[in-house]
Amino acid sequence: MSALLKKDWFGLGLVLIFGSILISLFKPAFISPFNLYVLMLSVSLMLVVAMSQMIIIAIGQMNLSVGAIGGLVAISFTGLMEVYSMSILPAVLIGLLIGLACGFINGYITVKTGISAFIITLATLYIFKGMNLGITEAQPFYEIPEAVKFFGNAKIFGPIPYLVVIPIIITVLMWILMNRTSLGRYMLAYGNNVQSSELIGISSTKIVIYAHVISGLLAAIGGMLVVCRLQLGTPNIGDSWLLPSFAAPVIGGAILAGGKVDVIATAFGVILVSIISQALVIFKIDPFFVQIFLGFMILLAVFINRYREFREERRTKVFSDE
Amino acid sequence: MNNKIPNFVKTNQFGLLILVIVFICIFSFSTDGFTSRFNIYALSRVVALDIMIGLAMMVVILTGGLNLSLGALGVSAAMFGGWCMESMGIPISITIILVLAFGSFLGWINGFVTVRTGVHSFIVTLATMSIYFGFMTLLTEAEAFRKLPEAFTDFGSLKLFNKYISPLLIISVLTCFVLYYIFKYTDIGRKLIAAGANPDAAELSGISVDRMFIYCHMLSGFLAALAGIMLTARIGAAIPSMAGHLGFDWLLPAFLAPVLGGTLLSGGKVTVFGTMLGAILVTLINNGLYLIDVGEFWVRFFLGIILLGAVLLDRAREYFTVKNSIVS
Repeated sequence: MSALLKKDWFGLGLVLIFGSILISLFKPAFISPFNLYVLMLSVSLMLVVAMSQMIIIAIGQMNLSVGAIGGLVAISFTGLMEVYSMSILPAVLIGLLIGLACGFINGYITVKTGISAFIITLATLYIFKGMNLGITEAQPFYEIPEAVKFFGNAKIFGPIPYLVVIPIIITVLMWILMNRTSLGRYMLAYGNNVQSSELIGISSTKIVIYAHVISGLLAAIGGMLVVCRLQLGTPNIGDSWLLPSFAAPVIGGAILAGGKVDVIATAFGVILVSIISQALVIFKIDPFFVQIFLGFMILLAVFINRYREFREERRTKVFSDE
Repeated sequence: MNNKIPNFVKTNQFGLLILVIVFICIFSFSTDGFTSRFNIYALSRVVALDIMIGLAMMVVILTGGLNLSLGALGVSAAMFGGWCMESMGIPISITIILVLAFGSFLGWINGFVTVRTGVHSFIVTLATMSIYFGFMTLLTEAEAFRKLPEAFTDFGSLKLFNKYISPLLIISVLTCFVLYYIFKYTDIGRKLIAAGANPDAAELSGISVDRMFIYCHMLSGFLAALAGIMLTARIGAAIPSMAGHLGFDWLLPAFLAPVLGGTLLSGGKVTVFGTMLGAILVTLINNGLYLIDVGEFWVRFFLGIILLGAVLLDRAREYFTVKNSIVS
């Protein structure tokens, strides 16, 4: 039990359960099937985006270009189907390839030049977004195959949309990667301390490139899922991803210096943000408040993490005195 | 060290100066309107703002941090100014003082939270960015202030020096000199740099690093507010969307100018005139790309490529200067 209490996701889980009960007591509409459906859609899209950022946070870097990659893939995916009347599967594969290539560029330049990933991904953010606008000239693609539309709209049963399947699979895979594979552990080791991870023989090049490639792939999947959801490919997909992509991992207790992320807590962070945004809508609060709220949530999470670190430090001090 | 080459030639600023001259030559020969009075005047108005934004970011980069809320902060301050002048009828000079104080206060919030939580300012300013912008949109109901005093808007469209230069540019250049003086010759300026370069050592030598970091954030807020006022004067109205959604339009010039200018992202080094040259270079390229007619949608793409090229070039320069100094 005490081991459970120490987990990052435990406190968040409690907040989620009590928060949801409280909201549904005041507004029963909150647990209406339609509302749950909308909630699950928003959770599933943001889940992928948050994971895409989380893996870069794990190695102690930032990826500002997550949204730009998502947008570029989204319009390539729809463009290939509309303009070149390509069938869905090859379009998806090319979309993934573009995400992979974008991630590889980010990772390769970052690790080879030693320039901060912040600057590199700021530059590639403009490059990818510029390509997106250059290709589309800011016009959306509307012609989406029926199957894609169906995937974005249909429900498996009850209020559960098909769209949640892929994000859940991704979350499980990410949990396995970070907790059960040596690659994931190496990434955390690298994020924790670059020098010592190199000394024990971990290849920086490999770790950084892998992390960015995975991030690029996830951003690509996120972009394509948004296309399914919106039923069109607009150039501004991904523009608003930056804040939520950092919010969820940080609320989930990730340390931005690297070396510590929690997949389940990040997922809970996504759900928390979605529930709060949804609740604000149900309580008819101005949508601009949602943004302010998100900002305050991040600050609150930061304070709580800081407090826990502080307590942890005090506890370890007591032990070392004994 | 090789004494035949003066030290100035090895600096980042020199490389930038060469690049600025090269681009001026390229654009003057390859496009028609580049050296026209109209274009130079337009350039001077844009570059004035880019310099100010770059300086605002530079002073936070000095601490090893970042200020993502720059655009949101600047626009919030500008909207506050618009409200003061239009709705409250406060005189221009007092409004400007109030706006600068307001900007410094918002910067103080950034600095205070960053210092007290010990969290990287990236995440703090990411949060305050959305808080400031959200409140601003909420309070103004996304409405612009368009009935500003004429004396204020006239200043923004004033033309000096045979109608070539906007007075806004003079404000920016003056700010550069003031900042240069502060960082180079004043006690507080040296303390700010020391705190950014090595916080532990600074703390041990009796400098309150926390206070210095808060000062840097306040200075950043001050400069961002000043940029907000300048933009308001330039447009002739205070518009909530004048720096894009969440103030994002300011972020690229804000980072480009100091990074091109040779400011280290790890902190502890400022190059005021490097930042100025960096801002000039970015504005030149941006302007030139439009004149060459690459298509407005590709401008962003080329800006990204140029940022990437510039940081890589800077890396190479560093690499060679280090190698040279080892050899001799």
